Amino acid sequence: MEVAVIVLLVSFLILLALNVPISISIGAATVLTMLCTIDFDPAMITMAQRMASGIDSFALLAIPFFIFSGMLMGSGGIARRIIDFARVLVGMLPGGLAFVNIISCTLFGSISGSAVAATSAIGGFMIPSMTKEGYDKNFNTAVTVASSTTGLLIPPSNILIVFSLASGGVSIAALFIAGYLPGLLLALGLMIVCGIWAKAKGYPVGEKPTLKFALQKTLDAVPSLFLIFIVIGGIISGFFTATEASAVAVLYSLLLSCVVYKEVKWGELPALLTKSVETTAIVMFLIAASSAMSWIMSYQNIPQTISQALITISDNPLLILLTINLILLAVGAFMDMTPAVLIFTPIFLPVVTELGMSPLQFGIVMILNLCIGLCTPPVGSVLFVGASISKTSITALIRPLMPMYLMMFVVLALVTLVPGISEFLPRALGLIE
Amino acid sequence: MMQKIEKALAFALGALLALMVVDVTWQILTRFLPMQPSSYTEELARYLLVWIGILGGAYAFRKKSHLGIDLLTNALHGTARKTVQIFVVLVCFGFAASAMVYGGSKLMLLTFELEQYSAALNIPMGYVYSVLPLSGLLICLFSIDQLVELITAKQELPAEFDSSVHPFAEEAEEIQAQVAREQQEKQKQPSAAAEA
Repeated sequence: MEVAVIVLLVSFLILLALNVPISISIGAATVLTMLCTIDFDPAMITMAQRMASGIDSFALLAIPFFIFSGMLMGSGGIARRIIDFARVLVGMLPGGLAFVNIISCTLFGSISGSAVAATSAIGGFMIPSMTKEGYDKNFNTAVTVASSTTGLLIPPSNILIVFSLASGGVSIAALFIAGYLPGLLLALGLMIVCGIWAKAKGYPVGEKPTLKFALQKTLDAVPSLFLIFIVIGGIISGFFTATEASAVAVLYSLLLSCVVYKEVKWGELPALLTKSVETTAIVMFLIAASSAMSWIMSYQNIPQTISQALITISDNPLLILLTINLILLAVGAFMDMTPAVLIFTPIFLPVVTELGMSPLQFGIVMILNLCIGLCTPPVGSVLFVGASISKTSITALIRPLMPMYLMMFVVLALVTLVPGISEFLPRALGLIE
Repeated sequence: MMQKIEKALAFALGALLALMVVDVTWQILTRFLPMQPSSYTEELARYLLVWIGILGGAYAFRKKSHLGIDLLTNALHGTARKTVQIFVVLVCFGFAASAMVYGGSKLMLLTFELEQYSAALNIPMGYVYSVLPLSGLLICLFSIDQLVELITAKQELPAEFDSSVHPFAEEAEEIQAQVAREQQEKQKQPSAAAEA
């Protein structure tokens, strides 16, 4: 067993460092580990069989559908309507545009299901217009980058579906509902940071909208926001499964973008389909390879070995939770969310459940933790997109990001220590006991 | 030749996704309309997903959009960089050839031999698994093409697999360009009005 653990870890890390795609690093490391104990032919057949069966799941179908509907809803027009709506809500506060930016990123991140899409669509418009009003450009970019990740916790969210799979069946509906409070708490925390920053810098107060303007902009945004209502309402009421809701989301976004707003031409659909498949395939290929790896890991008792090692570190559960969070933060700085969730869920879940944390809460803690990694160097994809949109350097963004990182850590600590933040809503709705 | 394969692959994958949307829509409709709920749509959707995931893996490989960590490669130059890049492609080739082409075809033949059929659609499972060797072959083919490109390249090539998700990055550029255009138009309009 010892040999297998070493082969798996060492080969995986070497392949990863050398720039082999993460999915193929996982696959190749798994093959090498299998060959330690299994003959060549059965090892290859098992590998192939695990890859196919790993993604043979009706629940996973929601991922391509949410990606496709996110692509359809990702046009500039919808981003603009959401920004106008957010302006009506919070534009008149001191430093109002920063608040508008945060709320828009949260809403758009939720609808499009992608933090990168939120940064580019909302940031592409908000960063220049905030700069024009006298806000510091690097601050604007930092706000966009940090708040774009909140949409990943607020459903519909593909990463929560991936966690549901990796954890061996935490209910997707419960996870979706559980994400609301932590996601909104994060947005609120960032707004507090921005409020203080804006006061200190004396940033302008926005105009109070007239009632007519407010009503009109709210009505304009309703059709786009209705998507969230259909998906979540449908799932909570038990009308749809998450997969069916995702298919309905595709139909609704098709209707909205192609028929009502005509922002997506019918001729563009094939290209959008191909793009959606490309994004889907990255995730699915990772899941396929990971499911082979989690098979060999449990065959070799690797999760238990690591879990036991972690538990012997200390008797203090808080210290273990802190260790896990620190490891995840380090992982998140180097690896994208999906592979991190697929690799580390089976390892850490047994530890935290032993400490009394529910799998549901751990899912939210893990995603929130990995969200921070999306806005940190060296490989934070959201940070890079933000920097490239505002044509500024990563280093210039670090200073304004510092108070936001701090706030994200505070929220992470709260969500780790207080189960109620994740569990209250799903329990109130009867989704968990 | 490679371009043609890539185009055909993109078309096939897009069609599979479209088919999946139609299939699940049909499933929902049959549940709410007064008719027999469809029994085979769920199974068909799952197998379509297997095809999209595995075959799409080859397409994402061709588009170099699989996620990877490129810190080391970017720090290397000259022969060391080239060697690492060639090694990466060889690993991909090796994995695709052994697990997907060899393991996948063995699996496919085994299920044909055992006459395994799917529960609802009653199709041989071998057809479902045939996507593994197919996608594996494509990855091998694309690897060879990439290898030739790497070996013959005069300049340094960028690292193969970085950490960003390309489809959204492209989308982002489009949105940015669109916003910039609209803002320019907006700036023109008031001045035109003032002149008039």
